[in-house]
Amino acid sequence: MKIFDPHVHMTSRTTDDYEAMAAAGVAAIVEPAFWLGQPRTTVGSFVDYFNSLLGWERFRASQFGIQHFCTIGLNPKEANNPRLADEVLQMLPRFLGKDGVVAIGEIGFDDQTDAEQSVFTRQIALAAEFNLPILIHTPHRDKKQGTIRSIETVRAAGFPEERVLVDHNNEETLPIVLESRCWAGHTIYPNTKMDEHRMAALVQKYGADRIIVNSAADWGISDPLKVPKTIDVMRAHGIDDATIQRIVWDNPVAFFSQSGRLDLADSSARPAIDRSKKFENSSVLRGEQVR
Amino acid sequence: MLLSIVRARSGEPGGSWLDQQCATAGNDVDILCAAYTMASARVGRAPLALDASARETLAAAAPGLDAGRWTLDDAARAALLLAAAERLSRDAFATAATACFERGDAREQGSWLRAIALLPDPERFLSLAIDACRTNIIPLFESIACENPYPARFFPERNFNQMVLKSLFNSIALSRIVGRESRLNAELSRMAGDYAAERRAAGRTVPADIGLAMIETGSAGVRR
Repeated sequence: MKIFDPHVHMTSRTTDDYEAMAAAGVAAIVEPAFWLGQPRTTVGSFVDYFNSLLGWERFRASQFGIQHFCTIGLNPKEANNPRLADEVLQMLPRFLGKDGVVAIGEIGFDDQTDAEQSVFTRQIALAAEFNLPILIHTPHRDKKQGTIRSIETVRAAGFPEERVLVDHNNEETLPIVLESRCWAGHTIYPNTKMDEHRMAALVQKYGADRIIVNSAADWGISDPLKVPKTIDVMRAHGIDDATIQRIVWDNPVAFFSQSGRLDLADSSARPAIDRSKKFENSSVLRGEQVR
Repeated sequence: MLLSIVRARSGEPGGSWLDQQCATAGNDVDILCAAYTMASARVGRAPLALDASARETLAAAAPGLDAGRWTLDDAARAALLLAAAERLSRDAFATAATACFERGDAREQGSWLRAIALLPDPERFLSLAIDACRTNIIPLFESIACENPYPARFFPERNFNQMVLKSLFNSIALSRIVGRESRLNAELSRMAGDYAAERRAAGRTVPADIGLAMIETGSAGVRR
């Protein structure tokens, strides 16, 4: 089955991960801009990070036959540094019109501060201006309240809910999201957030409409094969392949296609992989011979 | 007092080095920051192991402060900041102290946060302390959240509540949060209750001490 992982931070992963993902059927991914674990202190760090998402990482993915798209945005944690947040928001528009940018994200709440609210709202306005959908990160702490507030913030801005993906849902937040017209993402993690069996149970309870799953693999304990592993568990729970395919391909494709920039032309026929290609003189081969 | 304790515990040449650095602390921000960094190498990282009278002296300077987990370099860095505070104007000290924090690695920042309640007019460093809670480096988070009277004294309710929730998320015993009982509030009780419900819905265990975050169960002096 062809798989779309709509949330995975490949910058933090190795080429072994790319190989394993491709072998498991992952054909396309979205890498949202996010927090790097260490706070950034200057706007230039963001410029370089966004450029690497659009450049080196897309190239690296292509070397393993995976199509790489990204979302650009200022994450809620770093929204709390007011001087930096202003500089990043002023710089963001230069990235928002670029090819392969399929949403603004991850944006939303972390501590649910006033500064986060303000940066969230300003980025919703940018999404409207650039005709992009929005990927919303829901907070770890006080999650239910944070989810409700996120949807209220979207509504208050008059932004169309069908262009919003609310991510990292659990049993408590999914019914809230499904009551809106937003899409509902689920992050399948080894220890936290959601796991494969709970996800299968949610699909059996709520169906596949607007339901999306992702690995959100990053620098923490996480697993870039969680979407294919969830497929196996959903099958074991008796969920049919047509339903599964909606969740792991059709839904994320439909959501991000609203950007008008999700060009999947190549994905049916996997690109012939030529790892001798170079990106600005760097190859993923590091001096190895092409096998 | 910190200076003499460090001198007694770390011996020479670390003791003389710290004396010299404290005697000129603040004359030059770059030199102060360099000394702040070098403290680990110069005086070592052994536990500070204060005796009862020294603990009392510290607690008198900053009620609720528990230096039981401090190390020699923590104490040396606190001595450097306090020496700079005596020698500099109010504003110049704020600039120098902030530079020590911003240029510091996680261990230096941990030392800084452990000593924050000892600094003159510590409320002016509130935004720095709140921002420090956003770290994912748990020992750094603990240096502001645990055995430290600062959050209970100065954090607004929303930030205090987030710090308590983050402690629960990271399996940090809530009994380590100084002044917790005095800051319990209805919103924190609701957040802790929602967290317990979310954990149960996910088929997971609920932290055994979550009741310490709730008004009904957390103010009876229950300790682990």
